Formats: sequence, C-alpha cells, structure tokens
Amino acid sequence: MTSIILNFFIDAIFAAIPAVGFGMVFNVPKHTLIYCAFGGAITYSSRTLLLDMDIQIELATFLASVLIGFIALYWSRKYVIPRPVYTIASIIPLLPGTYAFTAMIGLIDMNSHGVTPELIAIFVENALKTITILGGIGFGLALPTLYFIRYNRPIF
Amino acid sequence: MLKELTYEEQTRITRAIIKAAVLMLEFGAESKLIETTTQRLGVALGVDSVEISLIPSAIVLSTLSNNQSQSVTTTRRAHHKPINMSIVCDVQKMCHEVEKHKHNVEFVFKTMKEIQPNYYNRWLVVFMVGLSCASFAYLYGADWQAFFTTFVASSVAMFVRQELAKRKFVMIITFGITAFVATIIAGLSQVFNLSSTPSIALSASVILLAPGFPFVNSVLDAVKGYLSMGWGRWMQAVLLTLATSIGMILAMALLNIKGW
Repeated sequence: MTSIILNFFIDAIFAAIPAVGFGMVFNVPKHTLIYCAFGGAITYSSRTLLLDMDIQIELATFLASVLIGFIALYWSRKYVIPRPVYTIASIIPLLPGTYAFTAMIGLIDMNSHGVTPELIAIFVENALKTITILGGIGFGLALPTLYFIRYNRPIF
Repeated sequence: MLKELTYEEQTRITRAIIKAAVLMLEFGAESKLIETTTQRLGVALGVDSVEISLIPSAIVLSTLSNNQSQSVTTTRRAHHKPINMSIVCDVQKMCHEVEKHKHNVEFVFKTMKEIQPNYYNRWLVVFMVGLSCASFAYLYGADWQAFFTTFVASSVAMFVRQELAKRKFVMIITFGITAFVATIIAGLSQVFNLSSTPSIALSASVILLAPGFPFVNSVLDAVKGYLSMGWGRWMQAVLLTLATSIGMILAMALLNIKGW
C-alpha cells in the first residue's frame, strides 16, 4: 500500500518537471513557474486516479483539464496573469504527443510503402485518440470561461 | 462628457492599440484575450469603442470616438514567432496600469518599446528540457538507459533548436531539423542495443516538439467563437507536427530502423 502511494508521489514529481521545463520554453514569468509545477502534478495525478477508476482516457483527460481550468481561474484572478500561462504548461503531461507522431508516421508510411489494412488501423486509431484527447483538453480548459460568457446583447 | 479627439490623436491611439494587439497575436495569446485587452485599452485611452477582426496572419482594428461619429481603421500583418508568454503578460500588465493610473498614449508607446522578453539562462533551459523529456520517458515506463538516452537526445535537440531560433529560421525548418537530431541520437541507442526499451526513448525525445500551444489555443479559440483563428492555429499545429514527423522519418531511414 505504501509503495503505491510512494509511486503516486514520484509520478507526480516526474509530471511536475515537464511542466516547469515547458514553462521555460514558453518563457512564462519567473514567479509563475512554481504554479506550473503544481499544475502539472495536479493534472497528471488526477488523471492517473481517474484512469485507475476505469474511466476512459478521453474522459479522464477532460475532467483533469476542467480541474486545472478552475484552479487556474482562481490563480489568475489572484495574481492578474492570463490563464494560458498556468494552464498550458500544466496540461503538457497530458498531451497525446506519441499518438500524434505515430499517426503522422503511419500516414507517411502509407505513402511510401503502400496502403495496408494494418497501417490504416494504426493511423485511424492514433489520429482518433489524438483528436479526442486534444478536444478533451481544449473543452476542459475552456469550460470555466464559457460558463462566464453570456450573450450580452438584447435580441431584437 | 469626454473631450473631443482630433483625427490625429485618434490615429495615434489606434496605432498604439494595434501595436499591442500585434504583439499579443505574434507571441501566442488566445483571441479572446487579445479582443478584451484591446477593448479595455481603447476605452482607457479615451475612444468610445474598439472593434477588432482577427485572422491568423493579420489584424484589422477600428476605433470609434466623438459619440461614434469619427472612425479610424488600420490593418497590420502579424508574423508568428516562437511562443513567449512573458511578453503577453507584460502587455496585459500595461493595460491594467493604463486603466488604473489613467496614463496617456505616450506611456503605452514607451512601455511597449521597453518590453524585454524574459529569457531564461539557455543552459538551464537545455538542462530542464532534457530532464522534462526524460521524465516523460520515465512516465511511459522506460528503463534507466532509455532515461539517460532521452535526456542526452533532447538536451542536444533543444540546443540545436535554440541555435536555429537565434538565426531566425522559419519554425517549420527548426522543428524538422530538431526532430532529425533528436531521433538520430535516440536511434543510436537502438542500433547499439543500449536499452531494452528503445522505442520509448525514440518517442519521448521528440516530445519537446509537440506543438501544445497552437493545438490548445486552436480549440480554445474555436469554442469561444473565433472559428477562422481556430482553423488557422490548427493548421499551424498540423504543419509543425508534419515537419517533426518528416525529420524523424529521415533520421530513421538513415539509421535503417523502422517505426517503434
């Protein structure tokens, strides 16, 4: 039992490192790096928890993004920093990078070595996973803002 | 009653506002943020309202003043540059200051001229990005040899990426060459049988090129009603992914390894 909890925390730390690293690539202001680290750890850990509960990866990613969306809403009001600074570095550990590159390589393979059912299966599976996970992240991050946007013009 | 603006004054205000908007668009802010910032900046500088039309490569912006009777419209081309959030933050901070202290348009020009990108020490970035990709390899279940291969491969790749960015190459070329370098180094571990999980090292070492910002921004823009911006950013992200894949394919063909 303790080893499971220990592993959980080690994974959280290893998810926080990429959030900080990519925060540096995006040149976020220095004092926000610590929040990026927390954000990365929170999103990755919550997704792992949800995946352990046998929830599909798309839905788990969506829920984790909603969580960080609301947390970042709080942070951005407190420190007057645009929310993407926190959110995008935090969701870096969730990005379907491997799926996206595999899909693209499948596509290029189909062109150079001829189309086979296996290659089509690889391409479709990975491209679908990429698009659904990305959609989950995007909608999850947008949800807090969408809730606050209202059509503010009277309808004639 | 607001004081009347002359046409020249309003033109100057419009130029200041669109300069801020172009800075935000070029360095990767989302459309909603650009629109709200320009509108608030405009009202703070004394025009009645600001209307903005965004497409991925340009901005059209109109200001209305003197009880909506005088209008100035201007267009600027935007050239996309590597993401830099500190500049976006600085522009937004400037907008808040103008609102709070009622600064004039000269303050806006002066502040924007003085905005410096907050660059981190480049060797620190190289180290951290290497460590980031190695952490990804760990999370995907790599062994220690693959962990260190990924670390070396992505550190060198990040160094190459910085060098290319310094020479102001187009992002597509930068991404292609960087992916090539990363895959060559990670692929060598497979050729020499250094690790039992070489495919993880291969896929994790190019994660530093995953265009997360354009992809996420594209979805955010699209759901908030900026459909053409959403498509534009999606296309940009797909192009960058394609460039990365081509770099990887070339490297794999050179080393004669196939896929993962």
